[in-house]
Amino acid sequence: MICVVRLLEPLTIGTATAPNRVMFGPIVTNLADDDRAFTARHLAFYRARSAGGCGIIVTEEASVHPSDWPYERAPLAANCPAGWKAIADACHRDGSLVIAALGHSGGQGSSAYSQSPLLAPSRVAEVNTREVPKSMEVDDIRAVIAGFVAAARTAIAAGCDGVEINAGQHSLVRQFLSGLTNHRGDEWGSDRLKFAAEILSGVRAAIGADRVVGLRLSCDELAPWAGITPEMAPEIAVALAAHIDYLTVVRGSIYTVEKTRPDFHEPPGFNIDLCRSIRSSLDPSIVVFLQGSVVDSGQAEWAVNGGVCDGVEMTRAQLADPQLVAKLRAGHAERIRPCIRCNQTCQARDARNPIITCVVEPSTGHESSDPDWYLSTHHRRDVLVIGGGPAGLEAARVAAVKGHCVQLVEAADHVGGNAAYIANVTPFTDWLAAEVNRLGVSVTLGARVDARPMATKPALTTSARAGAAGGFTCADAAKVEGRQILLQATGSVRGARPFTSDEHANIADIADVRSGVVTIPEDGPVLLFDPIGGPIAVAMAEHFGSRASLLTQDQISGNELSRSGDLAPANARLQQAGVRIERRTILRHVAADHVVVEDRFTGGQRNIPCVALIDCGFRLPAPPIPGADIAAGDCVAPRTILEAVLEGRRAANSLDTVPAN
Amino acid sequence: MAYRYLWTPLELGPVTTRNRIVFSAHLTNYARNGKPTEQHAAYYGARAAGGAGLIITEEHSTHPTDWPYEKLIHGFHRDVIPGYRAMTDAVHRHRVPIFAQINHNGGQASSMFSRLPVWAPSAVADPLFREVPKAVTQSEIDEIIAGYALVAEHCAEGGFDGIELQCSHSSIVRGFLSPATNKRTDSYGGSLFNRTTLMLQIVAAVRKVIGSRMALGVRICGDELIEGGTTINDAVEIAKLVEASGQVDYINTSIGVATASLFMIEASMHIPPNYAMFIPSALRKAVELPVVGVGRFKDPLQAERALAEGHCDLVGIVRGQIADADFAAKARAGATDDIRLCLSCNQECVGRMGLNRWLGCIENPRTGREAERSAAALAITHKPSKPKRVMVVGAGPAGLQAAIAAARNGHSVTVYEKEPHAGGQVRLAASVPNRAEFGDMIRNQLTECKRLGIAIEYGVGVWPGFVDEQRPDHVIVATGAEPQRPWWAAAEAHNVCDVRDVLTGDADPFGDVVVIDEVGFHQSTSVAELLADRGCTVEVITNGMVVGQDLGITLDMENWWMRASAKGITQTVELVPMGMDGVTLSLLHHPTGTNVTRTPDWVVLATHASPVEWLYLDLKAAGRSVERIGDCVAPRRAHAAVVEGERAGASV
Repeated sequence: MICVVRLLEPLTIGTATAPNRVMFGPIVTNLADDDRAFTARHLAFYRARSAGGCGIIVTEEASVHPSDWPYERAPLAANCPAGWKAIADACHRDGSLVIAALGHSGGQGSSAYSQSPLLAPSRVAEVNTREVPKSMEVDDIRAVIAGFVAAARTAIAAGCDGVEINAGQHSLVRQFLSGLTNHRGDEWGSDRLKFAAEILSGVRAAIGADRVVGLRLSCDELAPWAGITPEMAPEIAVALAAHIDYLTVVRGSIYTVEKTRPDFHEPPGFNIDLCRSIRSSLDPSIVVFLQGSVVDSGQAEWAVNGGVCDGVEMTRAQLADPQLVAKLRAGHAERIRPCIRCNQTCQARDARNPIITCVVEPSTGHESSDPDWYLSTHHRRDVLVIGGGPAGLEAARVAAVKGHCVQLVEAADHVGGNAAYIANVTPFTDWLAAEVNRLGVSVTLGARVDARPMATKPALTTSARAGAAGGFTCADAAKVEGRQILLQATGSVRGARPFTSDEHANIADIADVRSGVVTIPEDGPVLLFDPIGGPIAVAMAEHFGSRASLLTQDQISGNELSRSGDLAPANARLQQAGVRIERRTILRHVAADHVVVEDRFTGGQRNIPCVALIDCGFRLPAPPIPGADIAAGDCVAPRTILEAVLEGRRAANSLDTVPAN
Repeated sequence: MAYRYLWTPLELGPVTTRNRIVFSAHLTNYARNGKPTEQHAAYYGARAAGGAGLIITEEHSTHPTDWPYEKLIHGFHRDVIPGYRAMTDAVHRHRVPIFAQINHNGGQASSMFSRLPVWAPSAVADPLFREVPKAVTQSEIDEIIAGYALVAEHCAEGGFDGIELQCSHSSIVRGFLSPATNKRTDSYGGSLFNRTTLMLQIVAAVRKVIGSRMALGVRICGDELIEGGTTINDAVEIAKLVEASGQVDYINTSIGVATASLFMIEASMHIPPNYAMFIPSALRKAVELPVVGVGRFKDPLQAERALAEGHCDLVGIVRGQIADADFAAKARAGATDDIRLCLSCNQECVGRMGLNRWLGCIENPRTGREAERSAAALAITHKPSKPKRVMVVGAGPAGLQAAIAAARNGHSVTVYEKEPHAGGQVRLAASVPNRAEFGDMIRNQLTECKRLGIAIEYGVGVWPGFVDEQRPDHVIVATGAEPQRPWWAAAEAHNVCDVRDVLTGDADPFGDVVVIDEVGFHQSTSVAELLADRGCTVEVITNGMVVGQDLGITLDMENWWMRASAKGITQTVELVPMGMDGVTLSLLHHPTGTNVTRTPDWVVLATHASPVEWLYLDLKAAGRSVERIGDCVAPRRAHAAVVEGERAGASV
């Protein structure tokens, strides 16, 4: 493990000094209110990160002009002074710098809320909505530049230490910089830097030299035919450097929105080379931040030490653990709750307006309403957690922190449940196991508990495979109140199958395939039945590659992946791997060597040969354990890790309310 | 036609409606923080003022486990009551009764907003939300029933005249009624009688709370249109049990399941009117209670006929009154032609609901903004001290709406249209047989123009010199957009044409035709059908993941697929045109980077148009008082044209 030192050193940015080099970047939260202003929920959200030691907090991007309303709860700068002040005041008390992100989404916005045309340099249709923007008139350009300047003035007057101008993803400034989106014949097209330069110089003039001006710049649009390339980016950065104090290196364009903050399919630190080249081109007085799936403090330290950057944006890592910096300072890097880069619930730019949250830290986004989970108990109870998946481990962990006497039994020979078989999730299940161990929870593997002992006296024998809970009593029985509490977290079992099958049909449950209980024949076509459209069947299909066919009733495979940003990448990966995608398909019958499927719209049936069918469908809760007091996670209803963790916590917090007798 | 039934009163228990037109329950997304808003009150108030016989509000949730979409009214919180009061006062002001629909969506939800397990009769995941629910226990069932009673109490306190229980298309009660979702083995599952237990328990609990001074209705699904779901025979039996309870005053009907067969609940113009009439018809034969019929009732004569033929006692007209709040009053006054007919296009009403946006209307810019009272608000009539001479250039939806809004404010308006007829692209879009109702937009606008005395000069193109001659005080340019060739198709290629060329008859493709869909809406699918009907072999190709991607939003996707399959139209996705060499079209399969070719007889382009902006730019440069609206700003859909036309006309 790398010893983290440099990352925690102060960092001078212009005339300001951050207490360390860790940045919490601007991220969509949906915490704003109906008036596009920051709320008390925002305040609690940022406060949790500043209290956890974060050096630089960049607030959620505010639109600088009413022509930009990219998502319903997007803050509007004119409505943000009170919010910025509250956030700046609170975070300053913890020593953090507070920077206000300012932007305009241009042609990547939405006209649904403003009911006005989108503005862009040229009429390039938005990729997903296909909406054609208005090619901005010079009056429009002047109005937006004035909006940036006014917004910067507002943010500084509210007490922010500086502003960050977005020329990264979803930005009009980048649309002007890029040949992909700027086809203008006037001076704003012949000099594509003009728009950015006028904004930055105007902002600098408005807020003065003693405030921070930052720039978030897409340095690789991943569209070399016309976009900004890594070769061009240093030139752009140098040309704009006169106006700025720091630059955050990002990537992505209108065609690659999902590449800016991608999920675990992209390696951590994917911008390292890009960032190093920008760092080496710029004057050392300009601070450069590395962005891009940096979730590990060791990698961040290495990057700062190795001349890649001066500071590191670690946004998702601090969604997963707001205490990241504090734990590093205390020398407990191993106690940092790991971001698993799943993107399942932290990507809030979604029409449904989900509140930002985190699969491994479900109180993220709910800081102002969730209870303090870790308050010490006044009623120390003897708790037996049955099941060592995410729900059981989290329940055991929180119960132990609160001071209960906790034991955990797990039927398998390892903890983590089904989650332990997913490569990107194992850092989290490993962390849970380590924390539970550190907190002194006694964990018994390979043991099942099927019932509370019926006898008034505890049963004396409990061996592996024994039935009742009697043998697992608190070692320190004198110090606990009341009877033992059984907390069930036994997960799920395979679901009902909405198709018929022959006796010799080879149907495997996906959980059994992943755990290795069932093996799939070495040769021949494999079918995956996926009524869910989530990441699990897609991953399994990729594993089988050209042998696999993915059956979906949807028009798109992995239909539910749009929120994490993996929809288009997943469909590309599947096709590159040679997976056949059977769309609009209903599975009717499974025979020994083929399945019968039906077209969803025409009802036409056909056969698809296969040697095995893997059922990736909905699961059912494990049966209730007689005498269990509390249940959490998939044994309540099979869902995702987020619900397992949240219910594990809630279960631990409800222990005090279980009757003592 | 004389109306014999539509304007007769009807008793629903203790409540009497003055006519048979119901503004039945539908989502609006007007709620804020779980509470009804001033917009709700203004919206329902406008329909009451416009002559509706009965208003039934959108659903009020009965329990914290029920939160399927962000902007749901949380009826179980007492703080909804002031909002209820505002709503009921706004409607009662016009002596119209208003009922509250109360509901728990059950398994047709997710935990995204509630952060709680979803409740349902059995652990059967909903096909849309795809979250496995928790099968409720007896104590949870008791809690559900208590939730309905609590919300009914809030509604009584809030001044409602009645309660409707939505047991039909998105409801935990539907979940219990349907064998597709109720797999229980206790007294709530199994036989149809058992499956109705929860519904009847809720009916009893609600009646107990509201007493005899309020009406109570139950909405029943006549056919879920899903495998193993309830069908009309079940619905008849359910209706009989409802009547036998002796506690219910009327029965409302519906068809389909909101999370599985929504395209049949809020059917677009591709589904024939009256398609759901068999449901009230069958129920009415089985019970004495008044029955409400629904399902694409577009005009008052159709409603009258449904009553005259004995299919139902009341008619639910939702979209008709979204498009024209004065639907009933105009019909009653004999001014049927003045009604702004709903198009059943589903673009801004249904289409916005699924996207979590406030409910609007493609042709009525006032819908969704009824509560706006500021000077800048749309369609606020104020007579100018000095009427202006306004020139509108272009008689498409934007130009006509601008003319209407300006003339409404007393300005003198002349519209110039270079074609011999109005409507622009809407007229062309509606020329495709199964899109004809879309043309009602222009019919409606022209009727309004006529009523306001707006002069429309056809066959007159406008150029700056003409404006100098006419000397208008203000010019509104609405010159639309024209097709443009994408870079990969040479201008001289004569086997390439735009969708518009096919619809005008300027091009007549034959043989093998490839339609390129880069717009993602009806353009490509309409022309594909038209050409397939003319005997062409048609393939629609898109660079996206789905052909006609936005047909899903307007609930046209299912029908398109069924029709396209029947007509032999093939659909190919993720192909980007890269060039055309004579007859060979080269395409890139972008996920894999592989190249494919096609050699069709014709290529038809459903690609982005180019705004006709020269007139606006010339007039602006000359210092004229001028603004531009609609597609000549940026080529978009008809709604943008209407909104901008209204805004420009109202602010002259």
